Amino acid sequence: MDLKDKLLSSFLAFENTMDLNHPVHEVRSEAIKNFEEKGFPSKKEEAWKYTSLNSLQKVDFSIFPKQENTLEYKDIKKYFLHEIDTYKIVFVDGVYSSYLSETTHDVVDVCLMSSAFNKPMFRPVLDVYFNKAASKDESLTTLNTAFCREGAYIYIPKNKMPKKPIQILHLATGNEAALMLQPRNLIVAEQNAEVQIIERHQSLTENEVFTNCVTEIFAAKDAIVDYYKVQNDNNNASLVDNTYISQKDSSVVRVHTFSFGGKLTRNNLNFYQDGERIDSTLKGVTILGEKQHVDHHTLVHHAQPNCESHQDYKGIFGERSTGVFNGKIVVDKIAQKTDAFQQNNNILISDKATINSKPQLEIFADDVKCSHGCTIGQLDEEALFYLRSRGIPKKEATALMMYAFANNVLESVRIPELKVRINKIIASKLGVRVGFDEL
Amino acid sequence: MAYTEEELKKELETKEYEYGFYTDIESDTLPKGLNEDIVIAISKKKEEPDWMTEWRLEAFRAWQKMEEPEWANVKYKKPDFQDISYYSAPNKKPKYNSLDEVDPELLDTFKKLGISVDEQKKLAGVAVDIVMDSVSVATTFKKTLAEKGIIFCSISEAIQEHPELVKKYIGSVVPKKDNFYAALNSAVFSDGSFCYIPKGVRCPMELSTYFRINQAGTGQFERTLVIAEEGSYVSYLEGCTAPMRDENQLHAAVVELIALDNAEIKYSTVQNWFPGDKEGKGGVFNFVTKRGLCEKNAKISWTQVETGSAVTWKYPSCILKGDNSIGEFYSIAVTNNFQQADTGTKMVHLGKNTRSTIISKGISAGQSQNSYRGLVQVNSRAENARNFSQCDSLLMGNRCGAHTFPYIEAKNKTAQIEHEATTSKIGEDQIFYCNQRGIDTEKAIALIVNGFSKEVLNKLPMEFAVEAQKLLEISLEGSVG
Amino acid sequence: MKMLKINNLHASVDDKKILKGINLEVNAGEVHAIMGPNGSGKSTLAEVIAGKEEFEIKKGNIYLEGEDLEEMAPEERAHKGIFLSFQYPVEIPGVSVTNFIRTAINESRKGRGMEDMPANEMLKLIREKSQLLDIDRKFLSRSLNEGFSGGEKKRNEIFQMAMMEPKLAILDETDSGLDIDALRIVANGVNKLRGKDNAIIVITHYQRLLEYIVPDFVHVLHDGKIVKSGSKELALELEEKGYDWIKQEAAV
Repeated sequence: MDLKDKLLSSFLAFENTMDLNHPVHEVRSEAIKNFEEKGFPSKKEEAWKYTSLNSLQKVDFSIFPKQENTLEYKDIKKYFLHEIDTYKIVFVDGVYSSYLSETTHDVVDVCLMSSAFNKPMFRPVLDVYFNKAASKDESLTTLNTAFCREGAYIYIPKNKMPKKPIQILHLATGNEAALMLQPRNLIVAEQNAEVQIIERHQSLTENEVFTNCVTEIFAAKDAIVDYYKVQNDNNNASLVDNTYISQKDSSVVRVHTFSFGGKLTRNNLNFYQDGERIDSTLKGVTILGEKQHVDHHTLVHHAQPNCESHQDYKGIFGERSTGVFNGKIVVDKIAQKTDAFQQNNNILISDKATINSKPQLEIFADDVKCSHGCTIGQLDEEALFYLRSRGIPKKEATALMMYAFANNVLESVRIPELKVRINKIIASKLGVRVGFDEL
Repeated sequence: MAYTEEELKKELETKEYEYGFYTDIESDTLPKGLNEDIVIAISKKKEEPDWMTEWRLEAFRAWQKMEEPEWANVKYKKPDFQDISYYSAPNKKPKYNSLDEVDPELLDTFKKLGISVDEQKKLAGVAVDIVMDSVSVATTFKKTLAEKGIIFCSISEAIQEHPELVKKYIGSVVPKKDNFYAALNSAVFSDGSFCYIPKGVRCPMELSTYFRINQAGTGQFERTLVIAEEGSYVSYLEGCTAPMRDENQLHAAVVELIALDNAEIKYSTVQNWFPGDKEGKGGVFNFVTKRGLCEKNAKISWTQVETGSAVTWKYPSCILKGDNSIGEFYSIAVTNNFQQADTGTKMVHLGKNTRSTIISKGISAGQSQNSYRGLVQVNSRAENARNFSQCDSLLMGNRCGAHTFPYIEAKNKTAQIEHEATTSKIGEDQIFYCNQRGIDTEKAIALIVNGFSKEVLNKLPMEFAVEAQKLLEISLEGSVG
Repeated sequence: MKMLKINNLHASVDDKKILKGINLEVNAGEVHAIMGPNGSGKSTLAEVIAGKEEFEIKKGNIYLEGEDLEEMAPEERAHKGIFLSFQYPVEIPGVSVTNFIRTAINESRKGRGMEDMPANEMLKLIREKSQLLDIDRKFLSRSLNEGFSGGEKKRNEIFQMAMMEPKLAILDETDSGLDIDALRIVANGVNKLRGKDNAIIVITHYQRLLEYIVPDFVHVLHDGKIVKSGSKELALELEEKGYDWIKQEAAV
C-alpha cells in the first residue's frame, strides 16, 4: 500500500476517535476529499519541479504512534534555547508532553490545539481563524487539515504581549521504525499585540520521520509577530512546513528560517497582505551538506496599497546537497505604491551540489517598486585576498567570508540569545574558529 | 497638458494597424486540413527528394502523438489544425532577373510595408531574400555572395541544390520531435531561408529576409537554417509584418543556427505582425522555436524587437556546447491592448568557460500581459560558466501586467550567475520635466521608452534600429495611464 | 508690456491652500529674487508658472507678455519661453543629455512653427554652451541626471537653460547643494543669459547666490503671500536677521 492509500484508510479510523458533531469534523471531511483527489504533488507540477516526494511515499510510516515516552529534560535540553526563560509547548511523537512544557492562560493563551478544539471557551477564536488562511486546495495542507488534532495554540489579546518568548518543540523519539507527524499550529495576535515564537522539529534517533506541518498566523492591525524556524534535524527527517500568514493594516510579521539539517525540507511560506501599510519580512539562511535538500517556496501576495515586503535568502551548498529557492511576489491591480524587494544569494562549494533558483514577479499595478536579484557564485576573490594578506590562512579566510555572507541575515533577529545560537551553528557548519564575535 | 490621458488612449486604440492591407495575388493553395497525404503533397509540390518526404512524415507521425502545450500565463483560443491550409504559393512563380519583372502589385505591397527592395537596400548593401507566402520570389545580390562561396537561398532551393548540407544540419539543433509546434513545422514547412557561410569567410553584408503572412487562412511555417562554418561570421536580419485579418493566424516557425568553432552568428528580428484590434480580436499567434548551437569559441547573439502578434511564445536559445562559447540575448517586447507575450531565452551551459548575457526589456500597456520566462542552466561539467541577466519591466496603466519567471539551475560550483529584475512605471515627474522643456507627452513617452530600451536598441544593426524605434513609438503612442 | 504679470494668484493642492494671493510684475531685463522660509510656497509658485497640473488655480491669473497662461500645457509654456530650473531634476535612464536637449530644442522649434535645428548648428551650440558651463564632453553622453551629483544636476539645468535661451527663466533653489566653485560656474552661466530681452526669477533660501547673481528686486514670500519687497539690500537684511521679523511683521 502506498502512503496515500494508507492515509486515506487511516482517516476513517482517525475520525472514529473524534467527535463527529464538532464543526471541525466537516472541515476535515472536505480536506480529505481534496487530498484524495489530488494526492501527493508530483514533479510534473510547476511548484514541485525541483522537489520530489516519491521516495517518502514508499516508506511505511506509522500514522498513529504508540503513546509512550520517558524523555528527561536533560536529554533534550540542547534542543531548546535554554539560555533564556521561555514558555514551552513540547510534543513527543505528536503527543503533548505536559511534563516538558510550560504553558499559560495568564492574559495570553499559550496552550494546545487539542484543548482549543475541545473547550467551548476557545470556540469563538476558532470560528474566526481556524483554517481561514490555510489553503483549501494545496494537497499537503489539506492532508494536514484532515488529520489536524494537535499542535500549538497561541492567542494574544489586544494590546498584550506574553512575558517571554514561546518555544514550540516537536520531538520524534524513534519508537516507531518510521513515523509521520502532522502538527497543526494556530497563532493569533490581536490588535497591537506582540509575540515572539521559536519553532523546532527534532528527531532523536536515526529512524525515519516525515512531518507535514501547517501553521496559520494572524496578525491584526498594528500587531507584531516574530517567528523563528530552526531546522537542524537529523539526516533521516523530512519536513514539509506550510505556513500561512494573514496580515491586517500596519502589522509587522517577520519569519526567519534557518535550515541546516534534515534530509528533505520543503518550506511553503505564504504571506497574504490584507490591509494597508503592512510590513512583511522573510529571511533565511540555508547551509547544507551531504545529500540534503532544502526547498524554500515563498509567496508574498500584495493585495492592498502602500505595503512593503522584504525577502533575503542566503544559501551555501556543499557536498551533494541541493538548494531550491522559488520566491513569488504578486502585486494586485489595486496594490499601488507597493514596495517589494527580494534577494537570493547562493554559493556552491562542492562539485556535486546544485542550486535551482526561480525568483518570480507577477505585477498587475503600475505604481510599484519591485525588484528581485539572484546570484550564484563564489566569494569575492579580492576580499579573500585582502584577508589573506592580513595573515589569515586561505581555509579560515574562506570560512570567515562565508560566515559573514550568511550572517548578515541575522541582523533582524530580535532575541539576542537566539542570534548567538544561530551564529554558533553557522560557525560550526562552516568550520569557523577565528575571530567571530561572541556577541 | 496637450492631451489628457483619456484622449491619448483613445487615439491609440483607434490607430489602425499601419500595415493592415491585403494583396490579392492568385495563389496555388492546398485544401484545408492535415493528414499524411497533405504532407506528401507539400513535399511533392516542392519536388523534394524522398529522404525529405520521409523526414516530414516522421515529424508528422510524432506530432500526431503529441499534446498541444498549455502555458500558465497565456490565454487564447487554440487553433483548429484541420481548418488551416498548409500550403500556398504565389501562382506566378517565375525567377526574376531584375525587379522590373516582379508583379507590380507585389512591389506595391513592399512599398507599403516600407521594404525598399530597390535602390535603398542596394545602397545599404543588403541582399534581400523575400519570402512572400512561403515561396521565395526575389533574390538579389546572389552573385556577390556566390563569389565568396556564401549560399543564401530559399530552403526549398537548398534542398534541391545542397541536399548534403540540409540533410546534415536540419533538425540537428531543433529535433523534429522537440516540441508540438516544432514537430508541426517539420512536417509541413513551406519555405524559409537557408544560409551557409564557408570556413573563414566574413559575410560582407547584412543578410535580410522579410516574412509575411498573406493568404487568408494560411498558416505560415517558415524553416530557417543558418550554418556558419569554422571562423566565419554572418549577421542575419529577419523582419516581419503581416496584413490585417479578422481570424487568428498561426505562425509556427523553426530557426536553427549552427556556429562551428570560432564562428559568430548575429540574428536580429523585428516582429510586427498584426496584434489584433483594440478589442483583442484577430492577430497572429506566433509560436516559434529558435535555437542555436555554439561549438568551441563560437558566439551566437539573438536580438529581438517584438511589438506585434496577438500571442507570442518564443524563446531564442543557445546551447553553449563548445568551450569558451558565448550566447547573448537582447530583447524588447512591447504589448498593448490585449496582446500577450511570453518570451525569453534559454542559455544552456555545457562547455567550459562559457558565457551568456541576457538583457530583456518588457513594456506593457493597455490590457496586455507581458512575461519574461528564461532558463539559465549550468551543467556539472561547465567549469567557470558566467551568466548575467537583467530583466526590466515598464508598466503603463493599471490594466496590464508584467511578469518575470527566471529559472536558474546551477550544478557547478565555479558558476557565477547574476540575475536582476526591476519593475517600474513612467513617472509623472518625468513627464512634467519633459513637458517643461517643451516636449509634449506623447514624445516624452517615446523618449523615455527609447531610453529604457536603449541597451537592446544599441545591439541592432543600424538600419534596423531606426525601424525598431519607429515601431516602439507606433506601438505605444499615447498609452500612458 | 510686462514680461510676467501675476495677479492675485491663489493655488491649492488636494484642497490645501498654498498660494494665497500672489501679485508680481517682472519686466524684461530684470532679475527678481524670491526668498522665504521653508514651506512658504516658493517652489509651488515656480511650478504653477511652469504649469504643473497637480496644482489647482483657485483664483487669479498669470500673463506672459500679456498672454494668459491658464489654458496652456506645460510644453506650450516652454515653447513660449518659460524655463524652470528644477530644484530636484528628474532622472531619465537611457536618454543622453545630448539626445534630450536636441529633442527639447527641436520640439520647441516645432511648437513655434520652425524647422529642426540643423545638426551642425546644434553641435556648435552644444559645444559653445558646454564650455560656458565647464561641462565635459563625456558628461553629455551620460543618461540624463542618472547618477549625477547634486552639482552636476544643477549645472546640467543651467546648461539646458543656456541652450534653450528662454525669455523667462525661473531658478528654483539652483544654489542648494552647490559648492562655491560650482556656484560660480552656474552664476556665470546665468549672468551670460542676462539681457534686455529676458528676465530671471531666482528662488533661494540664502543670500549667497545673490552675491553672484545680483537681483534688481527682492521679494519675501511668507505663507503664500509676498509680504515684503525691496532692493538687493533686503536680502542682506534677511540673512542677518533671519525670517522671524518678517513673520512678526506679517502677523501685525
